[in-house]
Amino acid sequence: MKISEVANSTGVQALNEWEESEINGVYISDMVSDIITGAKAGNILITLQTHKSLIAAANLVDVGMVVFVRGKKPADDVVELATKACIPLFYTEADTWKFAMKLAELGIR
Amino acid sequence: MSACVHRWSMAGIRSGYLVIEGCHHCGGRCSFFSTEPTPPIDEYRQGDHFWGHLGSYQAVRFDLTCDLCAMHVDLGDVMGLMLSTCEDSGCEVGRLVRRAGRSGSVYVALCADTTHVSKTCISEAGILALNQYFNQRIRAPGKRIIVVPCRMCSRVDNCRGIVIADAGLTDFY
Repeated sequence: MKISEVANSTGVQALNEWEESEINGVYISDMVSDIITGAKAGNILITLQTHKSLIAAANLVDVGMVVFVRGKKPADDVVELATKACIPLFYTEADTWKFAMKLAELGIR
Repeated sequence: MSACVHRWSMAGIRSGYLVIEGCHHCGGRCSFFSTEPTPPIDEYRQGDHFWGHLGSYQAVRFDLTCDLCAMHVDLGDVMGLMLSTCEDSGCEVGRLVRRAGRSGSVYVALCADTTHVSKTCISEAGILALNQYFNQRIRAPGKRIIVVPCRMCSRVDNCRGIVIADAGLTDFY
């Protein structure tokens, strides 16, 4: 499934400019040390963390997109870092569980 | 030299704490990985050094193993990875960041003794394997990860960057 399809189907809001790419799975984590060992390239990363370290980890793994849940929005310098690294950032008011359920309903696991 | 075009996987993943200590005497810093349930905070003397606890961060360590030839690279000397944002033209890493541009991201692999008084740093085999591992996984066209040892920084303790560490998760206020 493409990023645009995920965005349209779940109602997530973009926080930066992004390029279309294919999403191939989901990883949920709020620990950067866990992300670098668990997330895979092309995954949607669902998280509450909004700090720069999250972007440094997401970039290393080459995640497909990051979705901040519960309406969390990173600071401008974090968005700037993600944009430079070509990492699409989105946010949703839904909590982690509800957003993960939406993805599961779309067949993304 | 091996003819294998390695296909790396993480191996021996272990969770613990990255403990950072500072010497009150010389101002040096050192770090180590602790798998104890509670990271040590004791002060102690070691030769001319008087080490005191500066911080602990939840962290993870791993090695790399080739799926094809079973070659194993021990990354026990890697204390952490730092996304460099260095802009110092007098620093080799800063120049590399500038050259890498938008498509390349430079990560500094941090060793235990960032002062490099001990004359040791991350092994060349470790740096090579880390570069191959992270770049093999990338899907975005043109994107590149460049991992360099911290000995390349002109002054790593003053280097600008973002360390991949779970700071603050175990602190009480």
